[in-house]
Amino acid sequence: MTPPPLLEIRGLSKRFGGLVAVDDVNFSLASGETLGLIGPNGAGKTTLINLISGSITPTTGDILFEGRSIKDLTAFKRARLGIGRTFQIMKPFPGLSVLDNVAIGALFGTSETAKALRTARDEADQWLELMDLSRYADRRADELGGPDRKRLELAKAMAMKPKLLLLDEVMAGLNHVEINEVIEAIKKVRNTGISVLVIEHVIKVIQRLSDRLLVLHHGQQIVEGKPGVVLADPRVIEAYLGRRRA
Amino acid sequence: MTLRFKFILGVAAALMLATLPWFASPTLIQFGISTLLLATLAQGWNIIGGFTGYASFGNSEFFGLGSYGTAIAMVQWQLPFGVGLIFGVLLSVIFALVVGIPVLRLRGHYFAIATLALSQVMTAIVSNLEVAGRNTGLVLPLLNGDTLFYELSLAVLLLATLTVLWISNSRFGFGLIAIRENEDAAASMGVNTTLYKVLAFALAGVFSALAGGIHAYWITFIDPVSAFDLSLNVKMIIMTVFGGPGSVLGPVIGAFVLSGISETLSTEISSLANLFFGVVIVAAVVFMPRGLADLMRRFRKTGWRYFSENVKQHRL
Repeated sequence: MTPPPLLEIRGLSKRFGGLVAVDDVNFSLASGETLGLIGPNGAGKTTLINLISGSITPTTGDILFEGRSIKDLTAFKRARLGIGRTFQIMKPFPGLSVLDNVAIGALFGTSETAKALRTARDEADQWLELMDLSRYADRRADELGGPDRKRLELAKAMAMKPKLLLLDEVMAGLNHVEINEVIEAIKKVRNTGISVLVIEHVIKVIQRLSDRLLVLHHGQQIVEGKPGVVLADPRVIEAYLGRRRA
Repeated sequence: MTLRFKFILGVAAALMLATLPWFASPTLIQFGISTLLLATLAQGWNIIGGFTGYASFGNSEFFGLGSYGTAIAMVQWQLPFGVGLIFGVLLSVIFALVVGIPVLRLRGHYFAIATLALSQVMTAIVSNLEVAGRNTGLVLPLLNGDTLFYELSLAVLLLATLTVLWISNSRFGFGLIAIRENEDAAASMGVNTTLYKVLAFALAGVFSALAGGIHAYWITFIDPVSAFDLSLNVKMIIMTVFGGPGSVLGPVIGAFVLSGISETLSTEISSLANLFFGVVIVAAVVFMPRGLADLMRRFRKTGWRYFSENVKQHRL
């Protein structure tokens, strides 16, 4: 018998009044796999991430994590189970030092036992090193700029030691050089063996990172498969560029 | 400063304060009692307001419940003071849990408004309770022993400060700070935000109620209007913000300094005292919005620029 996938989405829908933001989405994510989620603006990508992380509750459908339904759990309980996320509009703890921002991830997250602050800071140190942020450890988080903030967001989420990491448009607002830096950072994250669900607008990024792609359009999933195949699919080109180009 | 030096300094300060009644005048002791109680209240507000970032106007309710709990137990049921104090704390904690769970869902101004309204409600409820002496209030048994009240107040303040010291270095405290800095991010990182907020509110309630109970027995008379006085809550906020919200010693220093200034002003120039007090507070908010604690930490590095930078940063 094969073990259940890490994450399984079954017939998931979310309705905001008359708008169906996510419409009957089904997919699963294996352990260690990186799934890219793409689609034009307003396709429902962020809504889907919010549904998985628990910021909002689905209208219908179910979310299974390690074979167990989590759709009725609050956000913090899902974080404890091992679902970490970053936010499209980043949410650092502005007044805290960069080190303590990450230490909070280590203190909480999936950690079962109450650990000492010192241990958490030591762990945070290691994540800062991996993310090339050590020299900013004592700075206030709101003093960081562009790509450093993105890396801090990654370090915070990774310090939680999640099994699944949800990345919501980490590249937004970065230039080409910075994008390459952050791609390297995400690759390091992926190499730790966790599963990643990544939302991205920049096709280059998603191509380089994902094992598999899922395309959303008007809340519905239109194509799923290997990156090369999916990006050549006429339905995907139509969704992005309109019918005439396809 | 090393940790050991800080520890020795803290113990020395506490011992010095503890020996004060043996050489100070009765007036100074009375001033000491009210300052220590105010510092305890400020420290309580620091937990919910300074660490968790919820600007509570409900802390004067905790104070009132502590006062009434102690008074009712002592006057109506003839129980000893200690039992009364515990009863007051219990009332306060129950209030924090019952009210906190719905009210702490509100954020920012709405939380402040909701807790503000509660103090009016409490005055109305207590004014109509037979056991609380309705409008006339209660008269507690007289105990002549300002030294005892002084030491008791000091002990409670020490307890509150040690609790805050623990908070500032613990997982619990970091959870509270995470909530203050960004509640959504805190939840997504695994902080049980509802539980933590309610616990912080209840903990603030414990210390405010202890101060209320001691105050009631010391003053020997309480009535609904003075027990649930909102201006007391405003004082807690001013003292904490002046000293440094979210720091360990800030609220205590804030309470000592502001009580001192206010007392001096009211003896020297009684009618203008409030005006000057107001000026001090406005100046403090403009020039050092993060409080004395932050000023002392950063002044050495930045010098006088500290003040101009604050003004610039907040576009005043």
